[in-house]
Amino acid sequence: MSDNTISVIRVRDTLMVTVPSDPDDSTVSDLQDRVLQAMERHDAKGVVLDISSVETLDSFFAQTVSETARMVTLMGGRTIIVGMRPAVAVTATQIGVTLGDIETALTVERALDLTAAKPALKRVPRKSP
Amino acid sequence: MSGNAEGEVSIRTEADIVAARRAVREVVVALGFGITDVTRIVTASSELARNVFKYGGGGVMRWRRVESNGRRGVELQFIDHGPGISDVGLALQQGYSTAKGLGLGLPAAKRLMDELDIHSVIGEGTTVTSKKWCAS
Repeated sequence: MSDNTISVIRVRDTLMVTVPSDPDDSTVSDLQDRVLQAMERHDAKGVVLDISSVETLDSFFAQTVSETARMVTLMGGRTIIVGMRPAVAVTATQIGVTLGDIETALTVERALDLTAAKPALKRVPRKSP
Repeated sequence: MSGNAEGEVSIRTEADIVAARRAVREVVVALGFGITDVTRIVTASSELARNVFKYGGGGVMRWRRVESNGRRGVELQFIDHGPGISDVGLALQQGYSTAKGLGLGLPAAKRLMDELDIHSVIGEGTTVTSKKWCAS
């Protein structure tokens, strides 16, 4: 609980962003700046956003995450959200939170596999039947 | 604190939004709400506390335990003395917002709580009163 900061570390070509359980609004806003700066500095291909500790995903938080993901896309990267708790998913759905086109994964390992397997800007178009 | 039947949290700074969330979490966990309802109530509180701070110029959150027909629940009141809401019905519609907000706060809280009433007087302020009942 005392640790209320966002950590951003680089793992291979990906940024691992870990969000604390109960961040205040400035910490959430700070997330956007730090992710975008780290994208540029590390020439990262993607962002894995670990929200497995997060207990409250309200509209402000959701909006910031979804905005950040759009910006990461503009910078040529992809964003994968990891570890949303069941109660948080239920609540977010109920209030109509949409995280846009952000990909999700259940575990960090799977998310890292995703960023390694499919770099951004090289999406395979879906085959028509 | 959670042993009390009622209490309040002053909402003056951004950090107080977190304080309000934590106070509510403690109260509703002690009341026996399940994890999904706890998350719903805390999320609603976060939206309403932020409204008080951002649009109401600060205020207070009051909580109290309530009982009706043998059911236990919690009542949360968010009180500010800000500009007031001119059209409450409109404010409850998803997507509506005046102050660069998301237009999600009030409608979100309404969906997550069992009851939600808004009393607002232009130039005097807004009081949002909401309740959630334990499922069992």
